Amino acid sequence: MLVTTTDNGQRITALNQAAGALGFSPGMALADARAIHPALQVAHADLQGDERALIRLALWCQCFSPLTRPDFPDGVSLDIAGCAHLFGGESALMEMLASKLGRFGLTARLALAPTIGGAWALARHAPDDRLAVTRSALAGHMAPLPVCALRLEEGTVKALEKLGLKRVGDLIGKPRAPLASRFGPLALRRLDEALGHEEESFRPLNPPHLHAAQCRFAEPIVTQEAIGIAIGRLTRDLCALLEKAGKGVRRVELRLFRVDGWFEALPLATSTPTRDAAHLARLLGERLDRIEDRAGFGFEAASLTALSVETLAMRQEDLGDDAMTMRDGDLAPLLDRLVNRFGARNVTRAEPHASFLPERAARAVSVLKPAQSHDWQAHARCIQDGAAFARPLFLFAVPEPVTTLAGVPDGPPTRFEWRRVAHLVTRAEGPERIAPEWWRAPLGASRKTRDYFRIEDEAGRRFWLFRDGLYERDEETPRWFIHGVFA
Amino acid sequence: MKHRFEIEALRRRIAPQERLTPNARPALGLGAEALDAALPAHGLKTGALHEILPATHGDFAAGAGFGICFLARLLRQRPGPILWAVPAHLANGEGALYPPGLAALGLDPNRLIRIEVRKPIDILWALEEGLSHAPLAAVAGILPDSARAYDFAASRRLALRAARHGVTALILRGRQASAEGTAAETRWSVASLPAAPASPSQSSGQSSGQSSYSGAPRWRLALLKSRQGMSRRFSSGWDVEWDHDTLSFRLPAPLADRTPAGATTGATPWPHEAGRASSRLPPEWAEAS
Repeated sequence: MLVTTTDNGQRITALNQAAGALGFSPGMALADARAIHPALQVAHADLQGDERALIRLALWCQCFSPLTRPDFPDGVSLDIAGCAHLFGGESALMEMLASKLGRFGLTARLALAPTIGGAWALARHAPDDRLAVTRSALAGHMAPLPVCALRLEEGTVKALEKLGLKRVGDLIGKPRAPLASRFGPLALRRLDEALGHEEESFRPLNPPHLHAAQCRFAEPIVTQEAIGIAIGRLTRDLCALLEKAGKGVRRVELRLFRVDGWFEALPLATSTPTRDAAHLARLLGERLDRIEDRAGFGFEAASLTALSVETLAMRQEDLGDDAMTMRDGDLAPLLDRLVNRFGARNVTRAEPHASFLPERAARAVSVLKPAQSHDWQAHARCIQDGAAFARPLFLFAVPEPVTTLAGVPDGPPTRFEWRRVAHLVTRAEGPERIAPEWWRAPLGASRKTRDYFRIEDEAGRRFWLFRDGLYERDEETPRWFIHGVFA
Repeated sequence: MKHRFEIEALRRRIAPQERLTPNARPALGLGAEALDAALPAHGLKTGALHEILPATHGDFAAGAGFGICFLARLLRQRPGPILWAVPAHLANGEGALYPPGLAALGLDPNRLIRIEVRKPIDILWALEEGLSHAPLAAVAGILPDSARAYDFAASRRLALRAARHGVTALILRGRQASAEGTAAETRWSVASLPAAPASPSQSSGQSSGQSSYSGAPRWRLALLKSRQGMSRRFSSGWDVEWDHDTLSFRLPAPLADRTPAGATTGATPWPHEAGRASSRLPPEWAEAS
């Protein structure tokens, strides 16, 4: 028996069959129930956990239909229009769903109806726990149900019952105007929706995707090889769909549905739109490293969904050998594989940024973004005043402090020590003064003016040092940092 | 003469088994006539594996710089981008490649794809993967000293793939790694050298005895290994300078290190007086004004 704490003390929210047989019911005060039967086992209800579990169940149900949603607090709706024939008809589908849910240890009541409201009502209040109703028989089945089956607010239900309108059938055929004026338009709309006089749209948990491929396995599969074969079939199906639509895929998601009501999702992004089945299968196959550890008792179904597609013109297959076909697009399979293995953030191109601060003058963008041609020469001319070799080959993300000995206060150092190695400065060039970007909020970085010097030591190594701050302005002695190394 | 023909014939016979046909891919000269003449292949072969070692611990940037300059030269001839793979911890320790610095050396940053990986073994994976994609111009990887995975077998795999698709592979290794045998075509040692002084029109007035420099990088190269034999003329090493305008290496003039007499005249690109040092405007402002 599960309880929640309300303003009026602890109330029963759910109970098992044994407790039900003793005459308890949800909503009862725990103190009353204890008085009747002191040996009750009581636990606190985890409502958020219930919601999460219900969402999870709704997602799992997507292996029957792409359109599912949780109906809080206690149900899941599936829109199976056009799906039933895949499972051998509506009754076979219900049979399969019931037996699977039974294996999870869930007691499920299933109802199949032509309207959402009808199915909702019949699943919760019909005498049978498995029921399929056609449109013509719907009104007949609905009539004996209590009015609370109409998804109405508690106050409206109480008011209807007070007037003696206890069954749905009592409302059918009654004059509409008095009902609407007394109970509001919602009550009538719910009735119409349940009976199919008014359309109700189904809002699924995930929006449906046009391009998707599914397959179900006769036996649950566990091994990587078997999953690989399934992936091969799914990618072929999906790419045939895409070919027909003239589309290429940028993002796909592979879902492997486990027998115990959960699924593993493998999302995948590609750098250019593709419908190359072998390429997709290879990329997905590389993600299966430890899938066997997560297979549990095996996967019983799989789906491959195109989450984002772009138009991809028909292309002639390659005729020449590899040297003849050097198009930029040919790089895409390589980039996809690199991104797939190392992550999109670790495979990058450089992009110039309009800033004089060296650490902000260039930034890395993922290769998944379309490649652009930037004028780096112009950018370099802009940030370094046209001087050649004014920027180092390697830049430290965080400048490292060095200890220096300067000849004159505002000149370059004569020697400096970096990483415990002393360097004697033989040549220096500078300063190049770079002012802080005062219009930006400080992000932990120094807000002082920097004077950069290009320094060469006695071995010919070249460094990029800067003094953080100016002598005449700041009270304390400015510190020196090394920001880069020249080639 | 007869022996040479026999050796040539024998080489041709084993070439298909070796799958490394010696002259299948053209070599890329370094640009200086005297330098290329001393190299067995008249340059560095494309579609082959080359290794670069810093001469001392502090010469990492010099070695990388030489590699970048060679790649810049290569990019002029061959279309396609470069793959540059580095271990993440090294990128933190030695700094990350800085695109404006690349542009200064003559390599177009648009054509560089950078990969940051966790383990050295992933570098080899990425290089191998890149070498089998002909649209790439070259792949380059930095292997730290601790990379045990890079042995003869691994280098041979890279060399074979490079030869098959014509993609050049460059590996920058740690200083301690020189003893092991690998299948690299050449192995270079690179040390920093002081740069040439600025030309009279560019150099600025100097204080405290320090002179200015033009910044064109110079290195001392030594060829440690070459699969096609070593040239006696090369063994002592060469001092080379990079010319970023013509994208070629050149041998500096022997007396170039003397400061010319008229060094104090002319325009000063880097004003030294504190009062004249101008604060820079942000680009947005520069455009607006």
